[in-house]
Amino acid sequence: MTATTSRATEREAAEVRRPGFFRRLWDRWPVKLAVLIIVIAWLIPTIGLLVSSFREPNLVSTTGWWTANIFDSAEWTLANYEDVLTSEGFGNAFLNSIAVAVPATVIPITIAAFAAYAFSWMEFRGRQIMFVVVVGLLVVPLQMALIPILKLYSQGAMIGGVTVFPDLDLNGTYMAVWLAHTGFGLPLATYLLRNYIGQLPASTIESAQIDGADHFTIFRKLIVPLSVPALASFAIFQFLWVWNDFLVALVFLGGTRDVRVLTQALAELNGTRGEAWHLLTSGAFLTMVLPLTVFFALQRYFVRGLTAGSVKG
Amino acid sequence: MADDDPGRGTVTKERVDSDELGAGGTAGVAILRIIAAFAVPIISFVVLWLTFEFLRDAEANRLVLALVAIVVGVAGVFALYWGMDLVVNLLPARFRESVRPFVFVGPALVILTVFLVYPAVNTTVISFMDAQSQEFTGLDNYKFVFTDEGMLRSIRNTVGWIIVVPLFSVGIGLVFATLVDRLRRGEALAKSMIFLPMAISFVGASIVWRFIYSFRPEGFGEQIGLLNGIWMGLGGNPVAWLSEEPWNNLFLMVIMIWLQTGFAMVILSAAIKAVPDDILEAARIDGATEIQIFWRVIIPSIMSSIVVVTTTMVISVLKIFDIVWVMTNGQFGTEVIAERMVRWFFRNDHNGRGAAIAVILFLAIVPVMWVNVRRFRAEEAMR
Amino acid sequence: MKKYRWLIVVMVVFAMIAAACGDGEADDGDGAETTTTAAAGDGDGGGATGEVSVFGAFSGIEAQAVQQVIDEKINAVKGYTAEYEGSDSFEEQIKIRVDGGNPPDVALYPQPGSVVEQGDLGNAIALEDLGFDIAELEALFGPYLVSLGMGADGKHYGLPTNVNLKSLVWYPKAAFDAAGYTIPTTWDEMIALSDQIVADGASPWCIGIGSDAATGWPATDWMEDIMLRTAGPELYDQWVTHELLFSSPEVTRAAEYLGQVAFTEGYALGGAENIPSIDFRDAPDPMFNDPPSCYLHRQATFITNFFNAPGDEEGASGLVAGEDYGVFGFPDIDEGKKGALGAGEMAAVFRDAPEVREFLNDFIAADLQCAQGAIEGVARISPNINVGPECYRDEIIATSAEVIVEALKVDGFRFDASDLMPSAVGSGSFWTGMVDYMLGGPESLPGVLEAIDTSWP
Repeated sequence: MTATTSRATEREAAEVRRPGFFRRLWDRWPVKLAVLIIVIAWLIPTIGLLVSSFREPNLVSTTGWWTANIFDSAEWTLANYEDVLTSEGFGNAFLNSIAVAVPATVIPITIAAFAAYAFSWMEFRGRQIMFVVVVGLLVVPLQMALIPILKLYSQGAMIGGVTVFPDLDLNGTYMAVWLAHTGFGLPLATYLLRNYIGQLPASTIESAQIDGADHFTIFRKLIVPLSVPALASFAIFQFLWVWNDFLVALVFLGGTRDVRVLTQALAELNGTRGEAWHLLTSGAFLTMVLPLTVFFALQRYFVRGLTAGSVKG
Repeated sequence: MADDDPGRGTVTKERVDSDELGAGGTAGVAILRIIAAFAVPIISFVVLWLTFEFLRDAEANRLVLALVAIVVGVAGVFALYWGMDLVVNLLPARFRESVRPFVFVGPALVILTVFLVYPAVNTTVISFMDAQSQEFTGLDNYKFVFTDEGMLRSIRNTVGWIIVVPLFSVGIGLVFATLVDRLRRGEALAKSMIFLPMAISFVGASIVWRFIYSFRPEGFGEQIGLLNGIWMGLGGNPVAWLSEEPWNNLFLMVIMIWLQTGFAMVILSAAIKAVPDDILEAARIDGATEIQIFWRVIIPSIMSSIVVVTTTMVISVLKIFDIVWVMTNGQFGTEVIAERMVRWFFRNDHNGRGAAIAVILFLAIVPVMWVNVRRFRAEEAMR
Repeated sequence: MKKYRWLIVVMVVFAMIAAACGDGEADDGDGAETTTTAAAGDGDGGGATGEVSVFGAFSGIEAQAVQQVIDEKINAVKGYTAEYEGSDSFEEQIKIRVDGGNPPDVALYPQPGSVVEQGDLGNAIALEDLGFDIAELEALFGPYLVSLGMGADGKHYGLPTNVNLKSLVWYPKAAFDAAGYTIPTTWDEMIALSDQIVADGASPWCIGIGSDAATGWPATDWMEDIMLRTAGPELYDQWVTHELLFSSPEVTRAAEYLGQVAFTEGYALGGAENIPSIDFRDAPDPMFNDPPSCYLHRQATFITNFFNAPGDEEGASGLVAGEDYGVFGFPDIDEGKKGALGAGEMAAVFRDAPEVREFLNDFIAADLQCAQGAIEGVARISPNINVGPECYRDEIIATSAEVIVEALKVDGFRFDASDLMPSAVGSGSFWTGMVDYMLGGPESLPGVLEAIDTSWP
C-alpha cells in the first residue's frame, strides 16, 4: 500500500517537473482507450461462456448468446450451476484437485529456484551446456513421455541387470502426479527463474559473499526475497496448468470415483457423446474461481519498486 | 566456454566450521553432526515416502488426506535441500564449493533425466521401429514424415503458427503491459481480464470458441456463433469458418493467441516494472518522447524477457495439438505437427511414425536454442 | 546456542520417523485384518475376493448406470468388488495404460479390432485360458459377435458386453403423418418419398457429420448400412478385412447410393458441402421446426438425447416418442441383402484371477444385463440373447433390442465396419475420406476411395 502511494507521489512529482505535451496526451485517453479495446476483445469470448452458463440449456443450443434478454427472467436459470455443484463427488474432486495442484506447484518452483540460482551465480563445469539442455527439454511433448514414465512407475528400470530406477509401485498415488508435474514443469520454471535471478544486481550478491554468507544463506536470505515477483508469476502459471490438467492426472492417478480431479469430474458429467455439455459452461466458471483468486492474491507482488527498492536498500 | 571465469564468484569466504566447535575432543558432537547431516535428507525422504504410503492406503477424510499431502509434500522438499547442504558442509573445504552447485542443480537434473531425457531418448529409439515397436525398420518412418501429404501440410501450417502466434501474443502482451503500466487505477483489473483465458480449462475454451465460430446452414435454426451472427447482421450468408481453407488456420491461431497472451503479458509486465524508475525519469528529463522511451529504454532493458517469452511461445506452438484436434480434427487442411504426432501415435496406433514426428519437433527447437545460447552468453559478458 | 541446534534437529527427526513408522505399522495391521475378514466372510458371497478394475469408453449417465448395477448386483452381494472407470479419451488412455504396464483388469473396447490386436501382442488373456467354453458363448451371443474377437492363434479375446442398433431412420411423426407420407420399405420408395418432400417445398434429409475430434463418423455408418443392403453380409466381412477394396465396384456403388442422398439437389438441408460442418448433435433439430425443415434423419438410438424443439424449455424430454417423432428401419436396397448394423463393446481381459473370472461371468449374466435396461436414459442393449425386450424401460430401445437379438440368432447382425478396420482407416482415413467426398462432390469419389485404400496399413 505504501509502495503504491509513494510511487504515485513520485510520478506526480515527475509530472510537475516536466509536463510535456506528448506525455500528457499519452497519459490520458489514448492509453485508456487502447487498454479498453484490448480488454473488450479479450472478454467477448468469455462473456459468451458466462451468459450461456446462466441460460436454459435448450436456449443455448437454439439461439445466439448475444440475443439473450437480460430482463426476461424466464430465459435465466441457476440450474446449470446447481447440477454441477450437487453432482456426485464434486466436492471430493475439488479436494483432490487441491491436493494435486498445490504440491505440484510448490515442489517444481523450489527445485527450479535452486537450480536457477546455481545456473546464474555458481561456477561449475558444463554450466551453459546443462542450462541449454534443460531449456531444450521444453520441447519434449508430454504425450511421448507418458508411456515411458508409467512403465518406470509400474516396473522400474534396469540397465544391464542393475536397477537404475526401483519399482516403486507409484501408480495411483499423489506422489506419482506431483513428480510428473514437477518433471514437466521444471524446464520452464528453471528458464523463467534463471532469466530473472540472473538479472539481479551482481553487486548485491558479491557484497553478501564478502560479508561471509555462503550460497545457501545467500539463496535463502537474498535471492528468494528478491525473486518474489518471478516466483509468484511462475507459481500462478504452474498452478493453472496443473489445476486445468486432465491428462497427467488421468494417467498417473486414474479416474475412479475416489481419486479423480475436477477436470475429470466435469468431463464425466458431460457424458459419452456430449449430451450434457451445457454443464461444461457452468463447470468452466466454477473451476476458474480458485485460480483467479490465486491470481488476485498474488497481484500485490507485481508492484513496481518492490524489487528495485529492496535491492537498493 | 567461459565456464571457469576466475574473476567472479570465487570470492566466497570459506567458513572454517571447526573453529566454532570447542577446541579439544568434541569428537562426539562431530559424529552427531555427521549423523544429523546425513539423516536429514534420508529421513525427510523416508517421511515423505511413508506419508505417501499412508495417503495411498488410508481411507480417512479426503480433506485430511489433502492437507497432509500438502504439508508433507511441501515441507519435505525444503528439508531435502537443507539436509543436502548440511552434508556438503561436512566435506573437506577444498571440495565443498565444487560439490555445492550440484546440490543446487542435482535434484533438477535427476528429475529432468527421468521425466524428460529418458522419454526423449526412448522416443528417438522407437522412431526407427515399426508400428508396435517390435522391430527396427531403418528410416522408413522418416521417409513417411517427409512424403505424406498430410505431414507436409502440417509442417507448412506449423511454420505459419510459429510466425503468427508468437508475433501477436508477444506483441499484444508487450503493448498491453506497457500501456497498463501507465494507468493510475484499474491496472490489476485490466491485467486480470487478459489473464482470464489462461484460467479457463481447455474444455471451457473449446466451448467459448464454439460460441464464436459455430456455423449452421440455412434451415438449421438461428446462429449460435457470434461471428456468423455479426456476418448475417451485415447481410452475408452463414459461413463455415472452420472449413474455409486456408483462413481456418488463422481462426485457429486466434484461439491460441487469446489463450497465451496473458502469459506474455504477465512476464513482460513484471520485467517492465523492474526497469528502474530513475532511468525512465532521466530519459524524460533528457526530453525523450514516450515512444522513444519505449523503443530505446524499455525494450532494450527487457530484451532478455522478450527472448524468453518468445522462446516459450514458439515451443508451446510447436507442441499445440488440442485446439486443432477438438475444433477441426485436423481436417480441412488444418493439420499441425503435434496433432499429427498424437494422431499417429495414439489414434492410428503407429508408434514408429508418431515418434518420428516427435523427433522432428526436437530438431525444430535447435535454431531457437541457438538464439538463446547467444543471448545467454551476451548477458553473462555484460555482467 | 548453535551447538544445540544439531541436537534438536536429530531429536525432531527421530521423533518424526518414529511417528511415521508407527503410522505405517498401524496401517499395515489394519490392511491385513480387513483382508482376513473379507476372506472369512467369503463363504456366503460364493467365490473370490479382491477388486476388479473395469475401464471403458462410456462416461456420464451410462457410466453411472453401469456402476449402479455393479454396486447392486456385485459389490453388495459378492465377496469381490468391481469399480468402473470411463473416459472419453479411452483409445489414447488404454494404449498408455497397456503399454505403460498398468492395464485395467478388464477393458471394454468399442473396437473389436483393438481387442484382437491386444491378444496378438500377448497383452490380453484368451477367453479359453480364462475357462470360458466358446460353444457356450456362441449360444449366448450368436457366433458372429464371438468370432469378432478371434486372434491369429485361433483363440478368442473379446467378450461381448453391449450392443446398439444403428440402422434407424427418424422422422417427425406428427407432421409426417399430417402430410400423408408413408414409411418407405425400400430404397426406391425412400427416394420417391424424398422427391415428394422436395416437391412439397421442404428438404427431405438432415445430415450432419461434424463431431469434434471424430468428424466424419456418421457418414461411415451410412456407408456400412448401404454396403449391407447392396453387397450383403459376406462381402461386408471381406470389406472389413480389405479383401474387398474400397475402390472395388461394390464399395463404389455403395458410396454412389450415399451420394444420391447427399448430392441430389434439394435433398440434404444446407447442401452437401455443409454436411461436414454440421454437428451431428445439431443435425436432427430442423425436423422439429414448424413446419419441419427436413423429414428424415438416419442415426443410432442414442440420438433422442439430442432432440431439441425450438422454444422447448425442457430439452430432450419435451419430445415424445410415437407422437412427436417416430422411427423406422433403414430400408432394403437389393433383394435378399439384409442386415442389422450396430456397434458395441467387447471386454478384453488383462489379469487372470478368480475375481476377474467371476466378474466376467456375473457381468454378462442375463440378470445384471437386464437390470441395466431399467435405468432411465440409458440406451445400453445386451448382446445376451436371453435378455428379452421386457427388460428395457424405453420402448424404442426395447424394439431395437428385439431386432438385434433376432439378427444375432440368424447371423444377420454386423458390427460397425469402421470399428473393425485398423484404426488408421476406421477412425482415420475412412472418416476424412467421407468428409472429402461430401466437400468434393460425386467426381471426387474415385480419388477418395483410392486414398483410403492407400492408407490401409
